[in-house]
Amino acid sequence: MKKGLLFLTLAQAGLLLWGGPLVSPARAQEPVTFQPPRDSEIPSGPFGDLVRKGEHIFTQTGKYAGKYVGNDLTCESCHLDRGRKPYAAPLWAAYVSYPRFRSKNNKVTRLGERIQGCFRFSMNGTPPSLDSETIRSLVAYSFWMSRGAPVGKKLAGQGMYHMPPPAQKPDPFRGKKVYAARCALCHGTDGLGTKSGRDVAFPPVWGPRSYNMGAGLAKISKLAGFVKMNMPLSKGDTLSDQESWDVAAYVDSQPRPADPRRIH
Amino acid sequence: MTFVRRSVSTLFLSLFFLPAMTVHAEDFLKQGKKIAEEGNGSPGSVACMECHRLNGGGMPSIGSPRIAGQTAAYIEHEILGVQKGTRYAPVMARVVNNLSKKDIRSVALYYASVRTPKLPDVSPPDQALVALGKHIAQKGLWKKNVPACVLCHGPNGRGVPPHFPYIEGQNKGYLLRQLVSFAFLKRKDDPQGLMRGIARRLSQRERKAVAEYFASLTPPAAAGRGN
Repeated sequence: MKKGLLFLTLAQAGLLLWGGPLVSPARAQEPVTFQPPRDSEIPSGPFGDLVRKGEHIFTQTGKYAGKYVGNDLTCESCHLDRGRKPYAAPLWAAYVSYPRFRSKNNKVTRLGERIQGCFRFSMNGTPPSLDSETIRSLVAYSFWMSRGAPVGKKLAGQGMYHMPPPAQKPDPFRGKKVYAARCALCHGTDGLGTKSGRDVAFPPVWGPRSYNMGAGLAKISKLAGFVKMNMPLSKGDTLSDQESWDVAAYVDSQPRPADPRRIH
Repeated sequence: MTFVRRSVSTLFLSLFFLPAMTVHAEDFLKQGKKIAEEGNGSPGSVACMECHRLNGGGMPSIGSPRIAGQTAAYIEHEILGVQKGTRYAPVMARVVNNLSKKDIRSVALYYASVRTPKLPDVSPPDQALVALGKHIAQKGLWKKNVPACVLCHGPNGRGVPPHFPYIEGQNKGYLLRQLVSFAFLKRKDDPQGLMRGIARRLSQRERKAVAEYFASLTPPAAAGRGN
């Protein structure tokens, strides 16, 4: 009996070492084909100025749109590579999928309104008005980046990676171990991020200066999909699906600012 | 009540021990400086300053790194890595193999505490390479899954204490050699193999460009600080 079990384990180990057809589900995705334009393709003139302004706000949100920001994050904290990275909610795919119906506010939402939501929840701040320079610049930046992308079609790489259901219920206690091994180096054991001098180097993933409970990433499935494809930086798709679920459950079990819709 | 009593006794105890602790730290620094200046006294021991200078400016001509103001935790981790063989450093290995744990701690604290201006590099920056290097450093080369260097090494590469060293204003010979070591040789002391993966995915021209860019900058006074 024991021998049989040992053999089985050995066979499994062999299979793992061989590793041929064991392709992770993430890699079985449709390949990303859309290429956003290059920086050098930003036109000169007022449109180009607005696009560049949008990029500045996007990458240094606290500096260029500080009055709307209530935490240590920037747009680029989640929308990696200046909003260009597939499966990190890229702007080129966002632009062409709005207006769209969202159950979050039960109406057909425009992109500007969606960005207001980012400020309210992910940035834990105050939404700029739709005709503010902040929203106009961010919309212009997204519009420019989506040039040539098909409208109204589902694009490979859009939004966050949609996780298949977890094999086991996501467990924050297992997730804590994953966090310590793979995340704490940059985001800190206390989750409060890391600074370089006075500047935020690695964003806080919980605590008073992180996204609030109403943000998309406060949902375990969304965060798991983001982590799976993007974290740690340059090592995306190296955590297993279960590890991604578990670490998301751990991070989202930690304290963070309340959902502003629930504060009365 | 117990709390008050406990706080009072803690206060009293710390008053008693504080001078002792300060002397302890000073001892470390003094010992560290001595090792930097003349080695640890064991036969054949070489002084750190032979290559890193007493003030930690390094020697651009031989690609010996500037280490002044790098965090003590980082310097200690690197020396231990050289001893263990996880960090490829054929010259340095012979120098540090007789250092004790205490020697290493001392010398790390010493070099973390010193400040020195930038030393002239071996050649003026190659502007074409600097431009490419700046793009990779500040924006990344995400098509090759290479995030911007500054995401982990801090704004302009000034370092994120304690784990991410400053590379702003480091000499180009050292920077390029480390990128090559991470990519092909035996430098394996990077957490989670982050640098190994990144360095391998860059082309030799891109590695050179990044080295040229960071070498063209002015180093911070200490890791994690602005100029």
